[in-house]
Amino acid sequence: MEEDTVKLISAEGFEFVIDKKAAMVSQTIRNMFTSPGNFSETRLGEVTFPEISTPILEKICQYFYWHLQFASGKESEFHIEPEITLELMMAANYLHT
Amino acid sequence: MAMYIRVKRHKTTYFVTCDPTDTVLRIKQKLQSLIDEPANRQRLTLVSTDQILENSKTLAEQKVENDAIVALTLKTDDNGEFEDVCIARPEDFSSFS
Repeated sequence: MEEDTVKLISAEGFEFVIDKKAAMVSQTIRNMFTSPGNFSETRLGEVTFPEISTPILEKICQYFYWHLQFASGKESEFHIEPEITLELMMAANYLHT
Repeated sequence: MAMYIRVKRHKTTYFVTCDPTDTVLRIKQKLQSLIDEPANRQRLTLVSTDQILENSKTLAEQKVENDAIVALTLKTDDNGEFEDVCIARPEDFSSFS
C-alpha cells in the first residue's frame, strides 16, 4: 500500500482507501497517525471502526473529500439523507469531524 | 483537488482524486500503485450507466463526474477474460440484526 493513503475499515469489514490528507480532516484520525509510539494503526496505515457501519463510514469519507474541495474554493452542498442523520452525527462526534 | 471518484471492487472502495481532463488510462495508472495490478489487467465500468470506460478518452468525455461510482474488474489468470462486476453490499454482512 502507498505511503500517503490510509485504509478505514467499517463494522462489516468493508475497506475504504483514502488519501491521508483527506483522513486528516478528522481530528481523531489525525491524532492516531501523529501521536508518538509504535501503534499498529500508524505502522500499517489501517484503522478499524467496529462501531461505524459501512454506509456511515462511506459518507464520512465523502465528507472528507467534500471538505477538501470546499476549502479549495468549490461551492456545493453536502447532501445527507435524513434517515442516516443521527448515526452520522454520532460518528462525526466520535471522529471530531 | 478538482474531483474524486469511488472505485469499488468486492468489499473495498478506493477514493481516487482526479481531474475531468484525466484519461481513464491515467486513473488506471494511479490505481496500479494501490492494488498492485498493472493498468492492462484493469477494467473500469461506470456503474450508473454500465458503460465500460475507454483508456484513451477523458473522464469528462465519458460523463464520469465528481463522486461517481466506478466498478473495477481484473483479468482472470486462466483465460484472460475479465471477471464479472462484483461489489459487495453491507446488508449481506450485517453484524447486528
